[in-house]
Amino acid sequence: MAKRGKAIGMISGGLDSTLALAMVKAQGVEVKAITFYTGFCITETQRRKGGRSDGTMPQNEALRAAAEQETDIEFVDISGEKYLEMILNPRYGYGANANPCVDCRIFMMKKARDIMEAQGADFVFTGEVLGQRPKSQRRDTLQVVERESGLAGRLVRPLSARLLAPSIPEQEGLLDRSKLGAISGRGRLPQIAMAREIGLTEYPQPAGGCCFLTDESFSRKFFHILGQKEAAGEPRAIEQDEIVLLTTGRHFALGKTVKLIVGRNEVENGTLQTYAGGHARLLATQVTGPVGLVVGTPTWEERRLAAAIIARYGKGREVGQVEIEWRDPDGAVELLGVAPLADEVQLEAMRI
Amino acid sequence: MWGAVTSRAAPAAPPGLPEPALTLDTSGLLCPIPIVRTAAAVKGLEEGAVLLVIATDAGIATDMPMWCRATRHEHLATFRDGASWKSYLRKRGRAAAR
Repeated sequence: MAKRGKAIGMISGGLDSTLALAMVKAQGVEVKAITFYTGFCITETQRRKGGRSDGTMPQNEALRAAAEQETDIEFVDISGEKYLEMILNPRYGYGANANPCVDCRIFMMKKARDIMEAQGADFVFTGEVLGQRPKSQRRDTLQVVERESGLAGRLVRPLSARLLAPSIPEQEGLLDRSKLGAISGRGRLPQIAMAREIGLTEYPQPAGGCCFLTDESFSRKFFHILGQKEAAGEPRAIEQDEIVLLTTGRHFALGKTVKLIVGRNEVENGTLQTYAGGHARLLATQVTGPVGLVVGTPTWEERRLAAAIIARYGKGREVGQVEIEWRDPDGAVELLGVAPLADEVQLEAMRI
Repeated sequence: MWGAVTSRAAPAAPPGLPEPALTLDTSGLLCPIPIVRTAAAVKGLEEGAVLLVIATDAGIATDMPMWCRATRHEHLATFRDGASWKSYLRKRGRAAAR
């Protein structure tokens, strides 16, 4: 009787990794699925904000895929200090935005290798497709990731396997190479056809992934805060609380080292209140309006400007003078009477 | 009102839920941390024991049934209870979890 292999499947719940999971399971391999929590998850942020604008709550696609194929799944939390260090200093650089995809893949696959060894599994597989992404899924990059992760020969990409060198599990007979895929490129028609063939009906539409680091607006804020720290003579570092703030509100650069964050709705105002520690907090006292947080040490002019912006986004916008409460991190309170900022060009020039 | 959260129809608590062997409060935590903590808590339970998970992340309503289905634990109920959600599950043995 042929040996039944065991594999660790890196699953995001997108179409490709869902198909990879189905292909490996169809060959009788026992699979443990893993999915990574990085702290940059768009789904998490949508949930924090109470769901999507249409009232629906985004589901965790990795869980959905594992449930649909009745596969044991484990969340692996990699959101700690070492992951953040990697993001700040990626050896292989960034993609179009703040996404260090090659370094991130290496980081994740090293974790997957550790889990493979701890579980006594034979190989790791992913839903990667040769040539699908311009940087992280080129043939040479796939080889770099495999080598640097320490998974050489034991990393299988089932969707493209027949276009790549035979892996150890194929050579050992744990996987039948003829039943693996030969898909390459950015098109999704082969995957959609394959999904239909094996009866997979539920999978998310491609929407740029679930990672804020690939988001252009987030990236601007991410690199801005690093520049702001550099200008203030602080170390190039970022903490998890700062990442939450980067995904919350409108951001305005008041100066080289000072930034204002303005809540866009009740949920964001609540988040800013929760993460107000260490920052000055602004709020209109007599009219409804947003919460503002000031990051950095503002000058007197920057304080007035921040208050004027807060006044501009509240119900006092049409009023000549608005009273803004300025609460310092130590609890000291000052009341500022300001006119709402009316110069939209000035406002847009400050927007990050 | 700014940012009003659309409320969704939530299942009511079914009658006769068993007494939990352990209650895990994940209030304030968001996807996927409630499930990460649930997985860790289940490891420490006896086979057949019931775990109650309290959460404020409304996503628990979809996450918990899916996680139970994937890991073969028995999902008993998930329902809204005031501002929180409650989720009951029964631990299955390793043999059943395969």
